Amino acid sequence: MAELSLQHIDKIYDNNVQAVFDFNIDVKDGELIVLVGPSGCGKSTTLRMVAGLEDISNGKLFLDGRDITQTPAKDRDMAMVFQNYALYGHMTIYENMAFSLTLRKEDPNVIHKKVLAAAEILGLTSQLNKKPSQLSGGQRQRVAMGRSIVRNPKVFLFDEPLSNLDAKLRGATRREILLLHKRLSATMLYVTHDQTEALTLADRIVCMSMGHVQQIGTPLELYDSPNNLFVAGFIGLPPMNFFDVTFEDGKLKGKGFEVSLSDEEKYTLSDYNRQEITLGVRPEDIVEGGTLHVKVFSNENLGMNTLVHGHMGANGENRISAKLRGWTDYKNGDEAMVSFKRKHFFDKQTTNSIRKGER
Amino acid sequence: MNEERTIKLDRLRYTKNAASSRLAILAILLDVLFFVSIYKSDVGSYYYNILIGASILYNLIFMLAAFLASEGVKNYKANYSWLLIALGVIQVVRIFIIPMQAHSATVTVGGAETVVMGSGQFIRVIIYLVASAACLFASAVINLQKSRALAQHVASLGEAKA
Repeated sequence: MAELSLQHIDKIYDNNVQAVFDFNIDVKDGELIVLVGPSGCGKSTTLRMVAGLEDISNGKLFLDGRDITQTPAKDRDMAMVFQNYALYGHMTIYENMAFSLTLRKEDPNVIHKKVLAAAEILGLTSQLNKKPSQLSGGQRQRVAMGRSIVRNPKVFLFDEPLSNLDAKLRGATRREILLLHKRLSATMLYVTHDQTEALTLADRIVCMSMGHVQQIGTPLELYDSPNNLFVAGFIGLPPMNFFDVTFEDGKLKGKGFEVSLSDEEKYTLSDYNRQEITLGVRPEDIVEGGTLHVKVFSNENLGMNTLVHGHMGANGENRISAKLRGWTDYKNGDEAMVSFKRKHFFDKQTTNSIRKGER
Repeated sequence: MNEERTIKLDRLRYTKNAASSRLAILAILLDVLFFVSIYKSDVGSYYYNILIGASILYNLIFMLAAFLASEGVKNYKANYSWLLIALGVIQVVRIFIIPMQAHSATVTVGGAETVVMGSGQFIRVIIYLVASAACLFASAVINLQKSRALAQHVASLGEAKA
């Protein structure tokens, strides 16, 4: 059992710079929470506060109901995996994995059993006598994870563990982390700026910006129902297209284009009649065929899909990216006719998502 | 009990033979103490002969060989045990060369006859040499035991796999 609860956590540095504002989350036992956001949003600071490497300025941190806000890092029973692996170069993989237990003066036979078990899980058994410099980046990161596993901590903390790896290795190691999570059923907090990692790994995602939590939800919730413009723009690749439009006569009127709405969409926007809002459309929700003219300036064939970039509207004011199915062959200057399969609406002032009956 | 022993043996596959290695290094340190203790400045030209030249040269060879052996036994290389035993035997033999000769020899310095190596100094250098030899023997024996046990364990693992 390892339930973690962060309640009204703030981080204010000595120079009065506030890095984290009122962070709240209850992490269930065995849950994998991913903290995602751009650089400087406070996600690593939050993780370091949980680990005990940074002081918590305000708020409380509970582990299994026990207040650990002031507990030193070594007594928190958490293991952290860092981006730069933090392995000892002069020690073998076996010694690296056994090191924390040796420091705790555990029985060497018990340490041996734990190290071999962790190595088995991570496929490192044949590497145990090697030095870290003899391993690839992915293997080194597995060793770093192994070092955490042997401790059998209540909570695993990952601080951008895949950032030093190349794209192919990142994908493979990501799958390993996912398998590891399923195998250990451990509570994990994982920090990344990579939304692909967040979407593929997380049970729930915490999306952060400028020290504030923007939304907490499952990957699908964040993708399908973003709370605000920031989340909508951050989650999804390529990012969501945004257009300034006015809701008028049951239609959305933008600069040089008009979009008709379903009855449900009209009802959603019923409080915004003749007002300017932001229309958001994901590139993958744009389909060929329709009444919207797009002047193409780039056509990137990706195999299964084609990424088409262009301008929409009479004077080409609205830049648009569409992820079209199959292989298209638009040339620079060609005109494509498209329509929007699904739309998201955002309040122009608050940037919050407009949902049925909400204002 | 049997499982505990198996785990203990299996640990050898991933851990260095630190005991043997450290004992060999300790033997080098004791040898250093020996050769810095034998010379005395007030015995005239007693030590100015070929034997001392050979002794200095041997000390260098000893340190190199013992260090190489310490690295070898660290990785359970059984053959280095024989080198350590040989070095240990030579350390014992050395007691009967310079220390014994110097202990029984006298020189005349400034008109007065004096013993080259007094009893206190003699006992001290003998202790250094004996202790150095003991460390070398212990290192060799420990390594022989561990390397044989490890070889048998690895062989049994191979059989189990087959």
